[in-house]
Amino acid sequence: MPSKNKWYADPRLWLEAFVLVNLAFLSLDIYLAHSVNQFRRAAEYVPLYFSLAAPVLLGVGLLAGEWLAAPAVWRDLGYLVGWLAVALGLVGVVLHLDSRFFVERTLKSLVYAAPFAAPLAYTGLGLLLIMNRMVAVDSPEWPRWVVLLALGGFAGNFLFSLTDHAQNGFFHWTEWIPVVSSAFAVGFLVAPFLTPVGRRFLQMCGVVLLVQAGVGLLGFYLHTAANLRGPSPRWVDNFIEGAPALAPLLFPNLVLLAGIGLWVWGRADHVLDPPPLASSSARGHDS
Amino acid sequence: MSFRPVFIAVVIAFGLVLAGYLVNRQRPASDIDQPGEAFVRATGKCAECHVRQHYSVVHEYELSVHAKKGVNCLDCHQAAQGQQSAEHHGFTISKALTSANCKGCHPMQYEQFAHSRHAAPSWAAVYGEKGSKEHPLTAEQVALAEKFHPGSCKREANPLVSVEGAPAVQSGCVSCHSVGRPNADGSIGTCTACHARHTASVELARLPSTCGQCHMGPDHSQIEIYTESKHGVMFAAQRRMLDLSVEPKKLTTREMFVPTCATCHMSGLNGLNVTHDPSERLSYNLFAEETKPRPNYVRAQAAMKDVCLQCHTRPLVDRVYKEAEAVVTSTNEKVLEAKKIVEGLRKDGLLKGKPFETPIDFAYFDLWHYYGRTSKHGAFMGGADFVQWHGNYPMRKHLVEIRSLADEMRGRHAKQK
Repeated sequence: MPSKNKWYADPRLWLEAFVLVNLAFLSLDIYLAHSVNQFRRAAEYVPLYFSLAAPVLLGVGLLAGEWLAAPAVWRDLGYLVGWLAVALGLVGVVLHLDSRFFVERTLKSLVYAAPFAAPLAYTGLGLLLIMNRMVAVDSPEWPRWVVLLALGGFAGNFLFSLTDHAQNGFFHWTEWIPVVSSAFAVGFLVAPFLTPVGRRFLQMCGVVLLVQAGVGLLGFYLHTAANLRGPSPRWVDNFIEGAPALAPLLFPNLVLLAGIGLWVWGRADHVLDPPPLASSSARGHDS
Repeated sequence: MSFRPVFIAVVIAFGLVLAGYLVNRQRPASDIDQPGEAFVRATGKCAECHVRQHYSVVHEYELSVHAKKGVNCLDCHQAAQGQQSAEHHGFTISKALTSANCKGCHPMQYEQFAHSRHAAPSWAAVYGEKGSKEHPLTAEQVALAEKFHPGSCKREANPLVSVEGAPAVQSGCVSCHSVGRPNADGSIGTCTACHARHTASVELARLPSTCGQCHMGPDHSQIEIYTESKHGVMFAAQRRMLDLSVEPKKLTTREMFVPTCATCHMSGLNGLNVTHDPSERLSYNLFAEETKPRPNYVRAQAAMKDVCLQCHTRPLVDRVYKEAEAVVTSTNEKVLEAKKIVEGLRKDGLLKGKPFETPIDFAYFDLWHYYGRTSKHGAFMGGADFVQWHGNYPMRKHLVEIRSLADEMRGRHAKQK
């Protein structure tokens, strides 16, 4: 992977760092999530161990690729972690299917069952690693794949914030905020795949994403504050059984991913606003 | 900038929000109602889950005086001394609650209950002095009961237990007599038989229907007698004007100007002593084959008359007692007459084997156990029809049958000779 750019100007490096940090962070998330189930099945430890080991392997690959001029090590370790992550996510979905939601098919059972879509986070991260090795960063395809995967994440955010907060009866009006904001994130990230867009629209997407980041941080604060006031004798129990404090951080996290994609998308030479329609004047076309 | 992507983005976003809102609006209130933060804290967090899983349990607790006074779930559900505990989402709770859990805050009520006939005598009435295999009575429990109710525990198991078999006993007798079942933690009985579990209600315990769960039917037809009595008729008419929830020590005839079972047998009406021993004010053992005054006859009758006097004049109270005592004497005579016939048959070798194997066994048992009791209870509780048509009339009929059966048996026996 030796880069022609400075490290801070290299989107592939940022994407690699994004995946590495996410995998590391998932170890904490998995620990809390499977603690609810008290790690009842041995298989529940697999994603925990994977999330602990994968960042180390990716870190070694990054060192080898960037500073030891051994791109094959970077590539192969990335493929290894990437494919394992894809497989882990898909197997996780299958294992999570063994839940009462598929018997009762109610929103309640969906929210309180093992979240069958959650393991797809691994699949998404694995696909990013593989894509980062198979697609040239300066191709029009690269940013589209990144934005597409970020879009998938925001669609998940919309569904999870809707179902989780619906289960909570939208007890506080603030619980509608992530639902509305993630719906707009989905809308703005879908649009570039349906119609040609210009830089101004991509900038507008950037603003929408910044709002998402704010919403995520606000959610983190609200969830944490609720848990700190929680009624369990041990504060740890509040965090395990109470509002998922880390979940809202998925918003700023996905903002980073989509931001990387939009950054590359926006600097590409082929991004132009469409020409004015023949019947209209130049009025209203500002790019 | 092209408007097209903006339009697409806004339409998709609004569509998603609208869809989410509509889906959520269709959900039933029972699904989305949430306990407030204060209530979650008040219950010790339990309501956070249980309001969804067992709404009625949490709601009953919410209505209770316990909730109003800040007693949370864990206060009752924590393991008392001698109880097995279990881990439950970060809390250590008792596997099974007994009167020992109530005793922590209500020791006096427990002590009064423990020496009542609701305690060990109730269990011994089914299984005898030793209790059942799974729930044996301890020597201390038997001794305490014998001190207040001689002969109530030092007795054989009810012969019907072996005749009818375990399933009938478990689903029948035990359902009521478990009010005095000994617990593995050393305590005895269950307070929830009268107060219910999460309601923990004084009001519930004061309702005639609560006592009537067990004190009903031909062998102890107190609820039927009460319903027929003037007390019961007035209660039915004026139930909504009464306040049954007043704290026991503060209860007056202003709140309960019509009595229920608890009013006369237990309540501290107008400053009288409150008791959890329902037999404390009973002067006769009306349940017995041959009714005799209880050991505390004088004090008990004075205590009950004190309650009567809160609403009635002394001449009326004395007249009711005098008439009722006459019914007791008369019933005893009829029972003893029948008993003498049956015992005569046994003595002469005409009646052999275990109880409940010959028609005359049933005729005699029904005479005293159904109609004798009903007659006596009816007399003390103002149930005229139960003294006569459900009491003395069938007693007479059964006495005639017993005589006839005895004559037949003696005739057959004479022919065989």
